[in-house]
Amino acid sequence: MRKYNSLVYIFLTLLALLWTIPFIILVLTALRTQNDIVSRGVFAIPKQITFDAFITAWKQGKFNIYFKNSLMICFTKVPIGILIASLAAYPLSVYNFRLRDTIFLFFLSGIGISVSITLFPLTLLLKKMLLLNSLGALFFPYIAFGLPFQILVCRGFFHSIPKELIDAARIDGASESKVFRKVILPLSKPAIASLFIIDFLGTWNEFIMALIFINSDKWKTVPIGLTYFQDQFSSAYPTVMAGVLISILPVVTIYVYLQKYFVKGLAGIFK
Amino acid sequence: MHRKIKQSILSFLSKYWFFIPALLVYIIFLIYPVIYSLILNFYEWDGLSQIRTYIGFGNYIKFIKDPVSILALKNNLTWIIISLLIPVSIGLILSICLDRPLKGKILYRTIFYLPNILPLVAVATIWRWIYNPIFGALNTLLKLIGFSNLRHAWLSEPNIALYSIIITAIWASVGFPMLLFLAGLQNIPKELYEAAKIDGASEIQSIKYITVPLLRETFVIIVSTTIANSIKVFDLVYVMTMGGPARMTQVLGTWMYFNTFLYSRAGYGATIACIMTVLTFIISIPYIRIMSKKRIEGT
Repeated sequence: MRKYNSLVYIFLTLLALLWTIPFIILVLTALRTQNDIVSRGVFAIPKQITFDAFITAWKQGKFNIYFKNSLMICFTKVPIGILIASLAAYPLSVYNFRLRDTIFLFFLSGIGISVSITLFPLTLLLKKMLLLNSLGALFFPYIAFGLPFQILVCRGFFHSIPKELIDAARIDGASESKVFRKVILPLSKPAIASLFIIDFLGTWNEFIMALIFINSDKWKTVPIGLTYFQDQFSSAYPTVMAGVLISILPVVTIYVYLQKYFVKGLAGIFK
Repeated sequence: MHRKIKQSILSFLSKYWFFIPALLVYIIFLIYPVIYSLILNFYEWDGLSQIRTYIGFGNYIKFIKDPVSILALKNNLTWIIISLLIPVSIGLILSICLDRPLKGKILYRTIFYLPNILPLVAVATIWRWIYNPIFGALNTLLKLIGFSNLRHAWLSEPNIALYSIIITAIWASVGFPMLLFLAGLQNIPKELYEAAKIDGASEIQSIKYITVPLLRETFVIIVSTTIANSIKVFDLVYVMTMGGPARMTQVLGTWMYFNTFLYSRAGYGATIACIMTVLTFIISIPYIRIMSKKRIEGT
């Protein structure tokens, strides 16, 4: 065992170094001037550390707008989506009725559907609803595509809540919505917290729908903003890397601070 | 009579209104578009004009005769095979290494999983810079260590561009199988290993006869998601090469996008999307079956 352990350490450390290099390059590039990179190469220690690239990216690169849009969609879509999913999962896990398994399977089949097949019909539909080219165009499809996995997880979790607790509340005269609010939701905090994190990351990172449904700069989200920004500043490497750093900041922060819940949540879901 | 009906509707709603919002959003924004595409699939249409022509399986014949579609299909297949071989096995090895009391375990786990939570657009942008032929880190490094002749225009040489993108995908995706395998490993009772040790089994033997068989369900989940994700690939290719050079890195996802949204061939685009969905749907069935049986426990 001892003998293996040191081998394992060497292997893990080498691989971890390899995996870290892209992050090092990212930071080393963003913190210096264009001249410094071009004349001395990426791997040289920066002559002088500067944050100019971040200011350019934030203001001229319009990251201030993209950032605001992404936050807005994340903080509306994620809680509302999870609420709708958990509501749907409640009767699907605690009631017995004829269509229950059919409805569950109907929701579940969404997991196998690739976004690409819905893109063109969705543009026509959203145009008719006057939602195209606004954050509303992302809101509903994002919720729809989040439902299958979220219903699956909520239903699996609700199953593990003791039936006696629900029955006791009912005997005390609680209505179904009260049972949901006072018994189910409080007991499901851990599952809902991990769904919240998973969904926040997924929503922040979503690319293809935002690319197709949003055209005006005013409503672009961070990933779309980053592609346009790249074309605009294509050879200003420090500025582009500063843009990347800005765009990954929220997800990295969430992951590093909440990874306990996130990793445990994933483990609970997939074990 | 009237009151009775009203009452039964009310009692039905009081119990079942819970899934009405979800059902509405799901049907309008997911199911309806899917059905629309399944029908559009049999038409030739530019996506704008009043006239659509029914052509039966015409778009499928076009697909088979279209060299770019076939190339895209092949590229997806290459992507599937490489992602099943490399990230899944690195993930398994990492999880076995990390499933023991090690100092700095969380740090290692964080490093390998971090790329997985980044927006793929950001990942693609970082690697475009690494692959930059003149100032990029990869070519700079090769020159520094004296292998100047190995330098390449990584994303614009037709023979290597696809593999350059797949390497990026490997970097970004290793954390997912690692984390799932770790979860699966924690489920295996440690007594089994002790018993095996007493019986004189080597560490390699206990991996072969205990770990791997007991991770069967985890394997199925990982293989199924890996294949489905390799069929859906879009972001990395779109940002890194736009399907170029000379369409050599087109995949089904980008080729569908080009046809539907850039070339105004909505019918043909729908056919490509249908092929993608049929494939991902079939691949997801084992995943759905396993996941729907699970009881998810507290964290």
